[in-house]
Amino acid sequence: MTGTVNISVDFAALKLANPVFTASGTCGYADELADFIDVSQLGGFITKSITLKPRQGHATPRIVETDAGMLNAIGLANIGLDKFIQEKLPIIEKMTVPVFVNVAGETIAEYVAVTERLANEKAIAGFELNISCPNVEKGGISFGRDPEQVTQITSAVKKAAGQKILMVKLSPCVTDISAIAQAAVEAGADALSMINTFTAMVIDIETRTPVLANKTGGLSGPAIKPIAVYLVNKVYNEVAKARGIPILGMGGIRTASDALEFIIAGASAVAIGTANFIEPGSALRIIDGIRKYCARHSVANIQELIGSLSQERA
Amino acid sequence: MAGRHSHSNYSNSLHYLLVRWPNTTNKGIFSATVKANRQVGHRFYRLALEFSGAGAEAFAEFKPGQFAQLDLSSAALPPAEAIPEDLADVARREILLRRPFSFADVTSRADKTVAEVLYSVVGPATLRMTTLSPGDSLSVIGPLGNGFEVPTGKKTAVLVSGGMGVPPLQHLAKLLTANYPQITVIAFAGAKTAKELPFESKLDAISQQLGFAIPEFARYGIKSLVATDDGSAGFAGLVTGCLAQWLEETCPAPQTTIIYACGPEAMLAKIAEIAKEKRIDCQVSMERRMACGFGVCQSCAVPCRIGDSSETIYKLCCEYGPVFESKEVILDL
Repeated sequence: MTGTVNISVDFAALKLANPVFTASGTCGYADELADFIDVSQLGGFITKSITLKPRQGHATPRIVETDAGMLNAIGLANIGLDKFIQEKLPIIEKMTVPVFVNVAGETIAEYVAVTERLANEKAIAGFELNISCPNVEKGGISFGRDPEQVTQITSAVKKAAGQKILMVKLSPCVTDISAIAQAAVEAGADALSMINTFTAMVIDIETRTPVLANKTGGLSGPAIKPIAVYLVNKVYNEVAKARGIPILGMGGIRTASDALEFIIAGASAVAIGTANFIEPGSALRIIDGIRKYCARHSVANIQELIGSLSQERA
Repeated sequence: MAGRHSHSNYSNSLHYLLVRWPNTTNKGIFSATVKANRQVGHRFYRLALEFSGAGAEAFAEFKPGQFAQLDLSSAALPPAEAIPEDLADVARREILLRRPFSFADVTSRADKTVAEVLYSVVGPATLRMTTLSPGDSLSVIGPLGNGFEVPTGKKTAVLVSGGMGVPPLQHLAKLLTANYPQITVIAFAGAKTAKELPFESKLDAISQQLGFAIPEFARYGIKSLVATDDGSAGFAGLVTGCLAQWLEETCPAPQTTIIYACGPEAMLAKIAEIAKEKRIDCQVSMERRMACGFGVCQSCAVPCRIGDSSETIYKLCCEYGPVFESKEVILDL
């Protein structure tokens, strides 16, 4: 019966085979998960953040496990634009799944330079603008907190992106996420991805020092899921729905049920992050689970589910 | 299984450019069945995991020093009265991430491979690990990383472990005695106290005097010496002191000697210093917190020198290591 269910979704200018991405920073630059899964089965793929120059990242410890989650402070360690083009792009060219490049930088000019250089690459479907990394001194979240700065960076990168899809990744660590989302959309964002991690800290009580070398890190994993679901629903209702802007929902998704909560809340697609570390095949298991849910509930087309949250309690 | 890696599958990325050994390509997610889980000492256990089918094939190629990621999230807690007081708080924590372990022994027979984890109960995951019983199944990702390498022309191999660094060296000891008859192996093991030496049988003064202090090495005909910080067994002092004394006394030819070490980073730093001074090759197995173990989370960065320059670069412990040449790693004292 599951064969008759249509789980493909419209996502900006794309038609995705299914609504499940792997999230930036949890699946490498291209085919790193191929040792474990058939990457072509994914709905979409988002690369690790790319900056203009290579970045070494922070000292260790860079991660610490918490209750139902983990903190990371990697510091945008990446191979840089040139190496990405030389070594990873040829691999991406062979991938059939839509690939988004996560773009980061310290200045607007850097974001623009990376985007411009990749804007004509056929292998790339679009960009995810990282204005929400909580772990770097310059750039990252500092662009994502203030609507005016969001407008500036989004419009500059939108121009650089040409015909490619521009998705803006939002931080939950703001007073009014809808104001940020609105600024991004008005400045040309074709999609929103949300949420990035929450700034957090774990303390070693024996030494009375932070466990992470960077002192703080971004909290991800099941612990943040209900907050992420709430924020997706809020932005869907207040910004995205009226403007027809798709949301890529993420935050602690481990199961098909988790993914479906996001979709019902208003996400057109979802991304799997932390779960990839534990179970590299979780995205494929989730796709299968979504298909089964649709069959079980006689949902012929998954797009019926997007934003289908009823305000009346059952 | 020879300690030599083929040079196929070379890639050119930042990490791989300086890689001596390619990653194994047989890694995957496998289900293992618990065969045994015995307590072998104060808070020390030996867990035997059996792999069949593709898992048996993959883990038959597991090299000493490589590691595997174990999913312990569904293992049960021991009963409250069996939880040591110092772990009472952490016992209440749920496990999310897998935990990396090297193996102390790997045996392949017919279509089964049995891998043995020697572990110490130190936190929420290892506490849960103690409740695994024969027949339970466990999800294992591996083999991961690069193990110890045996350069040509070596005649003496010196294995040095601190605390829970001993398992991969036990596995290496087995491989060295089986495949390299021309190499004489000696093992050193250190811990804070005799109670914290992770060995099964009693360590007595006579065997220490005879130079066969550790039964786990003696079974391969390998001489061994123990050191304890408090002198409660063997050499009184750090294992690095015991090693230095032995090197002074026996003066093995530097060209044909190699040191393999695994343990706390301060111990590795001291050994790297000794090796440099004596011009002896040395490989160290590093430990880092890691979320994935297969190169995507970028958590397990190890600072390394670039050639002889003063420049440094981070290499991932999971992909490039966990075994490094001691001269390339910048070790924290």
